[in-house]
Amino acid sequence: MTRSTIDPVTRIEGHLRIEMEVENGVVADAWVSGGCFRGMELVLEDRTPADAAMIAQRICGVCPVSHAQSASIAGEKAMGITIPNNARIIRNLLEGAQFLHSHILWFYNLAAPDYVNPINALKASAADAHDLAVAAGTSTNTDLKALQERLTKFANNGQLSIFSGNWFDSEGGQGYKLPPELDLICTAHYLEALTMQAKASEISGLLGGKMPHIMTMVPGGTMFVPTEEKLDDLWSLVNELYDWVSSTMVQDTIALVPFYKDALNWGGGCKRYVAWGVFEDASFEMNNRYLPAGVLKDGLALEDVNEDLIKEYTGHSWYEPDDVELRNPRDEGLTKPLYTEYNVEDRYSWCKSPSYDGQCMEAGGLSRLLVAYKRGVPFIVEQIDGLLATLGVPGRIDVLQSTLGRTGARQIETLYVATLMKEWVAELIEALKGGDSEFFRDPTTTTGDGTGFWEAPRGALYHTEHVKDGRITGYQIIIPTTWNIAPRGHDGEPGPMEQSLIGVPVNDVEKPINALRTVHSFDPCTACAVHISEPSTGKHFETVTNPWGVK
Amino acid sequence: MDEKVLSTEFEELLSSRGVTRRGFLQLCGTIAAATGLAHITVPDVAHAIEDSVIGAAEGNLFPVIWIEGASCTGCTEAFAQIDEPDPATVVLEMISCNYNETLSFAAGHSVEEAKAQTIKQCAGKYVLVYEGALLEGWDGWALRVAEETGVNAFLEAAENAFGVVALGSCAVNGGWMGSKKTPAGAIGCQALMAKHGITTPVINIPGCPANPEWLVAVLVDVVMMGVLPELNIDNKPALIFEQAIHENCQRRGHFENGEFVYKFGSEEEKMGFCLYAMGCRGPQTKANCGIVRYNRRRSWCVEAGSPCIGCCEANPMDSSHNWVDVNASFHERHRDLRIGNWVVQPRTIGLAAIGIVTAAVIIHGFGMKASKRLDGAIRFESQREWDAKHPNEAIGYYGADRTIIHEDGTKEVISAEEFEERVQADYESTLKKLGAAAASAVAGGVKAAEEATEATAEEAQAETVEPVEEAETEVVEAPEETEAEAVEAAEEAEDAVEEENEESKGGQE
Repeated sequence: MTRSTIDPVTRIEGHLRIEMEVENGVVADAWVSGGCFRGMELVLEDRTPADAAMIAQRICGVCPVSHAQSASIAGEKAMGITIPNNARIIRNLLEGAQFLHSHILWFYNLAAPDYVNPINALKASAADAHDLAVAAGTSTNTDLKALQERLTKFANNGQLSIFSGNWFDSEGGQGYKLPPELDLICTAHYLEALTMQAKASEISGLLGGKMPHIMTMVPGGTMFVPTEEKLDDLWSLVNELYDWVSSTMVQDTIALVPFYKDALNWGGGCKRYVAWGVFEDASFEMNNRYLPAGVLKDGLALEDVNEDLIKEYTGHSWYEPDDVELRNPRDEGLTKPLYTEYNVEDRYSWCKSPSYDGQCMEAGGLSRLLVAYKRGVPFIVEQIDGLLATLGVPGRIDVLQSTLGRTGARQIETLYVATLMKEWVAELIEALKGGDSEFFRDPTTTTGDGTGFWEAPRGALYHTEHVKDGRITGYQIIIPTTWNIAPRGHDGEPGPMEQSLIGVPVNDVEKPINALRTVHSFDPCTACAVHISEPSTGKHFETVTNPWGVK
Repeated sequence: MDEKVLSTEFEELLSSRGVTRRGFLQLCGTIAAATGLAHITVPDVAHAIEDSVIGAAEGNLFPVIWIEGASCTGCTEAFAQIDEPDPATVVLEMISCNYNETLSFAAGHSVEEAKAQTIKQCAGKYVLVYEGALLEGWDGWALRVAEETGVNAFLEAAENAFGVVALGSCAVNGGWMGSKKTPAGAIGCQALMAKHGITTPVINIPGCPANPEWLVAVLVDVVMMGVLPELNIDNKPALIFEQAIHENCQRRGHFENGEFVYKFGSEEEKMGFCLYAMGCRGPQTKANCGIVRYNRRRSWCVEAGSPCIGCCEANPMDSSHNWVDVNASFHERHRDLRIGNWVVQPRTIGLAAIGIVTAAVIIHGFGMKASKRLDGAIRFESQREWDAKHPNEAIGYYGADRTIIHEDGTKEVISAEEFEERVQADYESTLKKLGAAAASAVAGGVKAAEEATEATAEEAQAETVEPVEEAETEVVEAPEETEAEAVEAAEEAEDAVEEENEESKGGQE
């Protein structure tokens, strides 16, 4: 047995530690731990729902729009508001822009560095790389020769900058497998992606004032009122993004697959999924959302979401022993932190274990896609069937339940969202043309309870609040990464990410690149994964340290 | 999934897409051939330095360590949005960003090693960018990275740096985590360094997130000119944080015309009216947001229809003076008056506008359309200069009786002259109360100023409770000779009267 650790996991949001037992080159057991406590839910107490929508965003600078949206929905349910149609469309556009931004940034700038070696691109023939790009059907907007010269100049200077301490030599130099030409293409797209994700955020800035942390999302609708000069910018940006996404992302994914096809064999995890649904249609029904809500139990059996079945378990987390084994966050949301010791047989994480109907669940892009597939969303069915056929495994949806499958699924979702953005712009223009000028509605009550089921780019997001006389008396959040990095549940079953790590080949315990690929496939966002709702026994936290005593 | 099966399937995939396997392999080489290139995957120059993971310690690029503390990664995200230069140019051609939890290709101990080597080999020559709050809760273990507290990791990197950039309001003073409601124990870089006797220069760049243009401006100062930018008393870049957002706001003209938005998403919003009545914190928040704008200059908060929520509000030495606690509820008219780290509830509009913020009065007084919402709030000119010269076209109104609505809802009608007198009395008594604070702030520096201000503010607060009833102006209604549209607007307004807040220690230079 050998211990292998990644701490900090980089190219994610927040602080995450991965600890693994490696036996015969394969992960035999794994523990995942979040490293930062901030206390958001406490800060939201006694504030107005509108303020909560502003402040709760600050949980995460990568998916602030989703938090604002979820908080706003919770506030709207509590205060008896149905938002106007214009606000619905604008909020879809805001959320869609964030999805595009987040997925583009994640795939090229956060995840791809596990697969792509820009330094190796120095060895490429730029002409061959161009031909390869054409053959692979992917876009070639960059002057590859100029890029190579730029990289050469960088390399000759000798300072490694963001490549400092890279893992390009992992697994005895076998870890990175792309030929130089493909490395060059993907490096070009890494740089293009930096521009495109910023373009996507320009849409958020246009509609939201700034991104990250948009300003116009408010319970009741939107503060943003489109003018002609804004609409034409919006229309243009949306088209530009669609053109790039549709000509690049899925194609690059397919080009990478052959070199890393081993990663289709592991990383599957618990293979049960939750999706609360995202992108509201005119019916405001969760199951009708453009990416609909649903729960997939064992064997991908589809069920409707039932809020009563969402419960949290804290028996393996640093919280006070509790008479109630599984608590519903809405009705019984109560959290008393109590650090004991780091003991994998007992308690070992700040993260609670959320469960649905008593079982841990995976959240994220793959979850949404599988639910959409099961619900028969035409675009998704067509794309997934097409991809599986292209890969020569028609109908084998289980192929997606792996590290590489999870990584690739997001590109299909990105294409879908880019397509929808065009539709929503057209829909908004039609609505305005038809004379609809309503963007905001006032509360009908100042006391009530509300839950905002929504999706962040990295998965199912849940805000629930109790409001009395316009002030919040209780607030609970379950964010996607809490589902994914959960420790063992009440039945002892490892959490989704832990399960996904078990079985991953680790040939280099110093640089366990396959484990890193698997962690990144979830697109973790840990800043928000650790939070409490009540201060208690704070002095006990002082012993929080690494108990493993290993690197 | 059977790997062998898929291997064959890939060939089918290629042919199905019109690419021959042979053609493909000719271009990109086989997997085996590709992995055979591994021995040249690191630039040769990197091997010149024994055991180095950062490559050369010196070169054309300025070494930078970028640490995220208790952060949301929003400031990194914001940095990723810039252009001219874009982030790639920054990290490839301006700085050697040897440690960055979001952008670094390395992970785990490798990235920690890169940081350690930079601290050692580039001591005194690198910039530390720190994003997020520092957490002292539970002896610093509220934030744990690589078996170390976030506090210790920061102090080590800060001590050896050329300069520390505290990026974002969280790094400046804890941001929203500075709220007393969370036990995380947030503190800003400058205050923590002071506690530990570290004297490395600090540059505070507040904002939630910090506008990336501000960071790059500072980096250009450091990297290209080798100097730290001129800083104000809070160690914030002077040129960026000296003026209030309101001073450069694109909706400022509507403020002066008394044209306000009173409901989100309304017709007034479509016309781009002023958001002051919706709680805009622009008048008291210092930053040049409206000039640099966000997201590649695409827009900014006020342009998109949102009142400023004052996210740049951050006193580096006081976490309790964080932008959330100071400014929430964001969409309610701001009635608190801050003097140093003291907060008082001004009893009168006149007190706030006239007594405290002389500078702001100058800003707001000019060209003010004397709609009834604003009338009496600004003690600047008794009659607008232009109005005096053009009596038939005057947009102000003068001499009409004023109706004062007191806090208890009762109304009182007084003459314009009497109103002027009361306001003048307020003005003078306030100046008297605050004179000591202002004087010592100028003479004695921050510390003395804070103490004096605190004491005086306490006094001032106590004294304002005295029955100065006429000062409790909530709404000043004008008679009907006022312009029709102003009357209409005033009916909607509950209390859109000018009031200003200002830290006494700001703007003393």
